[in-house]
Amino acid sequence: MIKINFTVNNESVNLQVDDSLRLLDILRDELDLTGTKEGCAIGECGACTVILDGEAVNSCLILVCQLEGTSVETVENLEKDAVLSRLQNAFLENGAIQCGFCTPGMLMSAKALLDKNPSPSEAEIKTALEGNLCRCTGYIPIINAVKSASQK
Amino acid sequence: MYNIIGKEVKRVDGYEKVTGKAIYGDDIKLHGMLFGVARFTDIPCGKIKSINTSKAEKMPGVVKIAMYKDIPGQKRVGPIRADYFPIVNDEVFFGGDVIAVVAAKTKEQASAAADAINITYEPKKGIFDIEEAVKPGSHLVHSEFKSNVVVHYPLRKGDIEKGFNESDHILERKFKTGFHEHAYIEPETVTVVKDPTTSGFKVYGSIQNPFTTRKVVAIFMGLKLNQVNVFGSTLGGSFGGKDDIINNIACRAALLCELTGKPIKITYTREESLKESYKRHPYIMNYKVGFSKIGKLKAMKINILADSGAYSSQTFFVTWRSVVQATGPYEIPNVETDIRGVYTNNTYTAAFRGFGSPQVIFAQESLMDEIAEMCNISAYEIRKINGYKQDSITASGQCLSGHKVSLMEVVDLAVKRSDYHQKIKDFAVQNQKSDRFKQGIGLACSFRGCSLGAEGTDASSAIVSVQADGSIYVFTGVNENGQGLRTTFCQIVSEIMGVDMKNIIFLEPQTATITDGGPTVASRGTLVGGNATIQAAKIVQKRIFETIKKDLDVTELDETLWENDLIKRKVEKENIKPIPFIEAAEKAYWDGENLSAYGWFKAPEVGWDEETGQGNAYFTYVYGCQIAETLVDTHTGKIEVKNITAVHDVGKVLNKLGVEGQVYGGVTQGVGYSLFEDYDIQNGVVKSENLDTYLIPTIHDIENIDAILVENNDQYGPFGAKGIGEPTLELASASLNNSLAFALKKRFYQIPLTLEQVKIDKNLRKPERQSEVKDNSEKKQSLRLNKISSINPKNLKNALELLSEGNVTILAGGTDVIVQSRSISNEQKLLNIYNLPELVGIVENDDNIAIKGGTSFSKIISNSKIKIHFPLLVEACAQIGSKQIRNRATIAGNIVNAAPCADSVPPLILYKAMLKLQSKNGERDILMEDFINWSYNTKIEKDEILTLIIIPKLDKNVKYFTSYYQLGRRKAVNITRMSISSQISFNEDGEVLDCRLVDGSLFSRSQRLTKIENLLVGKKLTETSIQNIKKPLHDQIYQEIGKRWSSEYKLPVFIDLCVDALMDIKEQCEIV
Repeated sequence: MIKINFTVNNESVNLQVDDSLRLLDILRDELDLTGTKEGCAIGECGACTVILDGEAVNSCLILVCQLEGTSVETVENLEKDAVLSRLQNAFLENGAIQCGFCTPGMLMSAKALLDKNPSPSEAEIKTALEGNLCRCTGYIPIINAVKSASQK
Repeated sequence: MYNIIGKEVKRVDGYEKVTGKAIYGDDIKLHGMLFGVARFTDIPCGKIKSINTSKAEKMPGVVKIAMYKDIPGQKRVGPIRADYFPIVNDEVFFGGDVIAVVAAKTKEQASAAADAINITYEPKKGIFDIEEAVKPGSHLVHSEFKSNVVVHYPLRKGDIEKGFNESDHILERKFKTGFHEHAYIEPETVTVVKDPTTSGFKVYGSIQNPFTTRKVVAIFMGLKLNQVNVFGSTLGGSFGGKDDIINNIACRAALLCELTGKPIKITYTREESLKESYKRHPYIMNYKVGFSKIGKLKAMKINILADSGAYSSQTFFVTWRSVVQATGPYEIPNVETDIRGVYTNNTYTAAFRGFGSPQVIFAQESLMDEIAEMCNISAYEIRKINGYKQDSITASGQCLSGHKVSLMEVVDLAVKRSDYHQKIKDFAVQNQKSDRFKQGIGLACSFRGCSLGAEGTDASSAIVSVQADGSIYVFTGVNENGQGLRTTFCQIVSEIMGVDMKNIIFLEPQTATITDGGPTVASRGTLVGGNATIQAAKIVQKRIFETIKKDLDVTELDETLWENDLIKRKVEKENIKPIPFIEAAEKAYWDGENLSAYGWFKAPEVGWDEETGQGNAYFTYVYGCQIAETLVDTHTGKIEVKNITAVHDVGKVLNKLGVEGQVYGGVTQGVGYSLFEDYDIQNGVVKSENLDTYLIPTIHDIENIDAILVENNDQYGPFGAKGIGEPTLELASASLNNSLAFALKKRFYQIPLTLEQVKIDKNLRKPERQSEVKDNSEKKQSLRLNKISSINPKNLKNALELLSEGNVTILAGGTDVIVQSRSISNEQKLLNIYNLPELVGIVENDDNIAIKGGTSFSKIISNSKIKIHFPLLVEACAQIGSKQIRNRATIAGNIVNAAPCADSVPPLILYKAMLKLQSKNGERDILMEDFINWSYNTKIEKDEILTLIIIPKLDKNVKYFTSYYQLGRRKAVNITRMSISSQISFNEDGEVLDCRLVDGSLFSRSQRLTKIENLLVGKKLTETSIQNIKKPLHDQIYQEIGKRWSSEYKLPVFIDLCVDALMDIKEQCEIV
């Protein structure tokens, strides 16, 4: 068992859990933040992407011992006071969602990009999202959504 | 004109999907819930000698282990033929068979117990080849059936011999297609809970066809249909894939639920999903076609074998669609088709978007181009001469009437929009000028029967229910699978009732509340479910109308308009105001009207004669054409998809956003199927275990798709709409193959068109080693992280001390270690050195740049100093994994892991980097070049940490020319197939002064190609001097890796890449 203190969506979290847990397990099972999804468990599909200290990471590849003092942001943090973020709206308007299982990860990768680079090029958008697999949309509507959420 | 039909409408289930609030199967948590884990077979084929569960039963948390003997109902199930064992008895038929299922308090406990079940076998030699399986005397996969042939569909039209006799040319070709995995991003999950009300079960999960799941669970558990209530959760992708597999998992969960009395959840890992879930059928197709000099088709004889795998599942239906569509959309007077679905011991195969059409279209549309070539006419002309027109007769003798036959309309539009004719000319000219890269363009078209056709009962249900406050529910017997059905059906109700979408809710259907509406398959959701919805909405509308018609002073419904939440007269009349829908609903409610109605749609009559393969197979058809533009690297066989023009007649567009989304998604899956989705199963053992080896397209892999929709309203469709889901997928393989043939002037007959297939005409695969087979039985059943203890050291000194105590594994970025740990059975102690301040950072010194070992690749590639001094390192590191991986993975981790494909290693060797290894007792330096012994083996000692990578700066006064090339199967997130890093400087006379060439992923470790470098030093870089390296390079590679399975491809390709790199540098020099 290991004790950890860290921040999730701006709230402080203190837990004592099994050392074998991944950040993904903590979010889903311990904190009931089920928006973050598991698709492959080896960092290939990106469905579990969250933002950790400002960077997009696969939460399936972060072990609990690596979380002390970190700050994690998940898809649940995007809507503020019942208002969807510009990025969320852009996904809706551009048809960037079908089954929606990759969507939380896509949104977090896109947010990590836009937080650092508010007006990315198409190539930069593709690089930021290359680790997020989508089997439904053919990616084109997703690229359009991120473009339309960018600052012109 | 419509209010909302045909518009771009946002998804009604979009809000919950962008906020993470949507509830998918694995998000369900129930009080007292236990976790189920399957114990899979260790071998693909053989008898089970013994099953010992005694150790597993005693393990902590284990509540029950269920086996064959525990099944209360029918032990074998299946959609047509009951040949599938959700839990096998004493024999296994494929590598995904399940022998037992464990229920325990935690998933880890259940997994650990599954690992502990000891099973002994008497292995049998399986059949893994379809041609083998149909040979007389071949042993039977299922001994109780007389033959390995699951089903045989013949089709006879005209006189085939006469047709061949009348032909000027006869062409015979054999085509092959591979297994295709759905790769929905959400792995399978089912939760079952006891329902005291029915003495049966409630079933939740990622379920494509709830009514089928209900039926299978009821049969398996010995219950009536009304005792099983199935609730589909939000579905994370299906594409035909969450049918049988889910039903079978649901059976196991229900059994455990019955035996324990507790709710049971079973969620698959990706490995379990790839191992057990069914795939698209591989086909072997022999086509013989006779045609006249001018390309008029006279006769076509087709013989197809479809690999059904170990079970029949949907093979009966999948192959039936193939027999209807195998000739393509062409008028052929004489046709003889035979298709057989065949049992093997491979992974079983069933429904997958396209359903028997992508295979035959690949063959037959590739063939059409070849016929055109022989007749010296264009790919366009051959289709114009033979393509279906209005009232054409199909191979099954059906007259195409009653709908618009728009084949040439879609072909002409695709040709026009892609500028096809001009590009053919331009690409041919450009290809003359380029040796290495060739541009390709190829066309394919298809016709496709809508809905189920004569394969089954084709009816569907819907309920529309208006509440007293004017809000509306709609629910249907077909399902939202992610395709957007909820939105479309809400739109339909909105259109009819004139009510804003926000007041309409699509209810997740449960099987207890609506009649079986058939499966959501065959692109039939909109067509049949939509019609049922229209009918239900119209019944309710009529009832409301009856209560308000006096107020509006009208007698007939069509005197009114229902829009903008108002009901009004078409012809205005003084003093008569429009009535708000809400008021009308309220009035009808108080009048005691029934405001709920059932809609039912039964598809028009179709028919089929099993003996002759003649009949009206489907009541209507759709037509599509796709044109693929590619850039092909002749040196590596890599195909880049530049543009796909996709033109589809959809009848009528109901939601533009939704339809275009179907096109983009279907085309992308089709491209994956054609180019790199290679489900590797050898002798029944699945090698493509996860999404690192089964490669689906990333965001980089298709540059552009033009989705173009054609509308020809269909008399049977809701508002004229037909289907779009499947036709979008079926054309990519043929259009890409034709594009490739154009580019290379060489034809291919097999997909996927992998690098090796294109370059050397072989689907090379790593052969199975005996050691691997043996390892399999000792492997964890369910890969996962467990038995880990971790230590966070205070600082580097502390870390080195802990390391010296032994028995710990270093954990840094975790991108390798955590993945590897999932397969390790023993306890592991991880020493987390990630982010230790002493290990992170990049320091510039006078004569070197020092990168601390724990620095992430993202930091390295964005560092301006490294960009200036070591551009090759930046280029190579930018290719590693994905953005998420580079944010986490560390350079020292990449080096120490020492995979032959480690991308940072070749440039570090080239730049003569020095590594600093630190231990409790001191430190030592070692050259990068000397550090790695061979694959995954280095000179690091167990008590050492790689703390620093020191890269000496190059001479500022010398101009260095560099070239880097990395080859992967996709355009991103690759395991590097091969790379070449090169850097050359010249003396004043233009002779090579310093030459450094380093391979990546060629030999068992990256190394300087010293012999080749020496050949070049002192010489000018000329065409001749470069060409002269080929022979010695060949000899060196042959000597070192010549006997490896991959060398047949790697040897010629690496030589080309090396020459290309040198030519690149030569050209750079010429520009300077």
